[in-house]
Amino acid sequence: MKIDVEKSLLWTSVAAFGLFAIGAVLTTIVPPLVSPLMYKTDHDVHEYTEQEKRGIAIYKAEGCVYCHTQQVRNLASDRRRYGWRLVQAPSSESWEYVNDKEHFLGTKRTGPDLARVGGKYSSEWHWAHFKDPRNMGEKFPDRKGIYEKVSIMPKFDYLSDEEIKDLTAYIQTLGRNKNWRVDKDGNELNDYEK
Amino acid sequence: MKQDTAAKTMIIASCVYFGLALTMGILTALKFVVPTVGEIEYLSMPRVRMLHTNINLFGWLLQANMGILFWILPRILHTKLFSEKLGVAMGIVYNLAVLGGFAAIILGNVKNVEYGEIPPPFDYMIAICWVMFAVNVFGTVAIRKVKYLYVSVWYTLGAVIWTTFVYITGNMFSQMPMVAGVNQANLVWFYVHNAVGLIFTPLGVAIAYYLIPKQLDTPIYSHKLSMVGFWVISFVYVWTGAHHMIHGPQPHWLQTVSIIFSFSLIIPVMAVITNFFGTFATAPRGKRMLGPIPKLLMMGTVYYIFTCLQGPFQAIRSVNEITSKTDWVVGHAHMALFGAFSYYAMAGIYYVVPKLAGRRLYSEKMGNTHFWMMTLASIPFFAVLWIGGVIQGFAWLNPENTFVDTLAALKHAHWMRFTTGSIIFISYFLFLYNILQTLFGKYPEDAEPEAETVTAQ
Repeated sequence: MKIDVEKSLLWTSVAAFGLFAIGAVLTTIVPPLVSPLMYKTDHDVHEYTEQEKRGIAIYKAEGCVYCHTQQVRNLASDRRRYGWRLVQAPSSESWEYVNDKEHFLGTKRTGPDLARVGGKYSSEWHWAHFKDPRNMGEKFPDRKGIYEKVSIMPKFDYLSDEEIKDLTAYIQTLGRNKNWRVDKDGNELNDYEK
Repeated sequence: MKQDTAAKTMIIASCVYFGLALTMGILTALKFVVPTVGEIEYLSMPRVRMLHTNINLFGWLLQANMGILFWILPRILHTKLFSEKLGVAMGIVYNLAVLGGFAAIILGNVKNVEYGEIPPPFDYMIAICWVMFAVNVFGTVAIRKVKYLYVSVWYTLGAVIWTTFVYITGNMFSQMPMVAGVNQANLVWFYVHNAVGLIFTPLGVAIAYYLIPKQLDTPIYSHKLSMVGFWVISFVYVWTGAHHMIHGPQPHWLQTVSIIFSFSLIIPVMAVITNFFGTFATAPRGKRMLGPIPKLLMMGTVYYIFTCLQGPFQAIRSVNEITSKTDWVVGHAHMALFGAFSYYAMAGIYYVVPKLAGRRLYSEKMGNTHFWMMTLASIPFFAVLWIGGVIQGFAWLNPENTFVDTLAALKHAHWMRFTTGSIIFISYFLFLYNILQTLFGKYPEDAEPEAETVTAQ
């Protein structure tokens, strides 16, 4: 039997679907089976509290992910840039995200990466920064004009204080599944968080 | 119901959305240089950006493509559209879904899927519309009066089949509670990449495969190449989703797979492009660049080469280290969706609308002006995004630069993007005016009407 694919609606459709299905199955269903760390882990991963979950909902609704990624890539420059007090940030690994019902890995960095931001700044700093990112005092001492060398992040002053607290609670958890902010001897480097 | 009502409805609606999408784009670009513009909750930068991408994808490009195909398919298959009523009903439900989705985005009710932020129930409505579209496409092919299926029909069928699965997996299944973390990210990028690759590429290429030979009055250059292009793309495109996360927390092997298949994409793309250019090269000289339609098709094809060569190379690990997460990616996405496929869609609208109105285009000259303005503005528009992206990528390598320093380096690129974007925005109005005049305006018709009905073929 000779099948003339170009004359047959059925065969064109079946063949187009078949070729597509191979790749579709191997890139969506197979990866978690081959690399189970994509969805489960034996490590101790932080479970989000109710307040932090509210923070996640705000993070999503405000679209933070469009300017801030949440992945320290496996690159020396990323590890250095997003480190803390000369301690390099460890690269992000897939098991750290298993409790994230909403992932915020992101594709674009207009602002800095947030994967390891938890605990780097005090919650008061975050509060002031959300209210007006362009009025951070000593942070940008050499600014020339108003739009020179200052953040271009939008103001989130329309969020209520309660919402900012929720959002900050979530942001303070980021990147802490690995206890990485320690000195050579393993002593905690936190000073304002104890 | 009158023939081609569905095509007409969707084309007019899509032209209006195009302007809205460009407005949102301009506003986003402006917020990058003057961040205090429009600082209210409903116009905060992320929401405007979500509106920009969603209006472009769903309001403009997908709707324009579906409208044009509602007109093209019956002509290729020498029949009537399977159900005109179903087509019109789909157009109405689709526009309600899209408008509802946009309102939801403004109010901050979004889904965490890039390019698919439209939340339930509106995303389910879009899925229903897609099924209605599929019924119409399959029905029209089934009642055809020709034996062979032309390339455009393969691509349309392919798009309908593939997108159904891409949308269900990436946009809906990925939001289920048991899908989390990197696994969810993988599914979402499967959607994001294939939304461009398996919806807009095949639909855009289908339109170009019809318009180029038709407009130039020349048979397609090579039938074999068109087969190579179609069957290879249906196999290789779907594998590439993970290349959005190179160096990231994704399994290393999955990244490598996506890089290899990103490179294989050169095969189908070059087959298609050789075919298009071959047709241009064998066309009669006088017709090659006459009026806006061949110009848009030609420039769209040029952008298609660039975007599809850029894709594989920016998927290489060492290149990706610099370009990924920067403005480069934005430039790449704009060249694919605006440069290549919006150009094809505009060419399609310039071709179809005069036939719908039953008379010649209101002004060829204005069409040419629109083309030149848009093209001369879009080249620097893409270029500053790439240059800015490379500057940004290298600036990040130096730990001495604070993040604000790396952003300040892009100031001129961002101003340039806003300026060139504004010119694109202005040229859009020439396009809109021309189309609306052709459909509804009054002007002297010295040329004979170009009405093309089914029986005339």
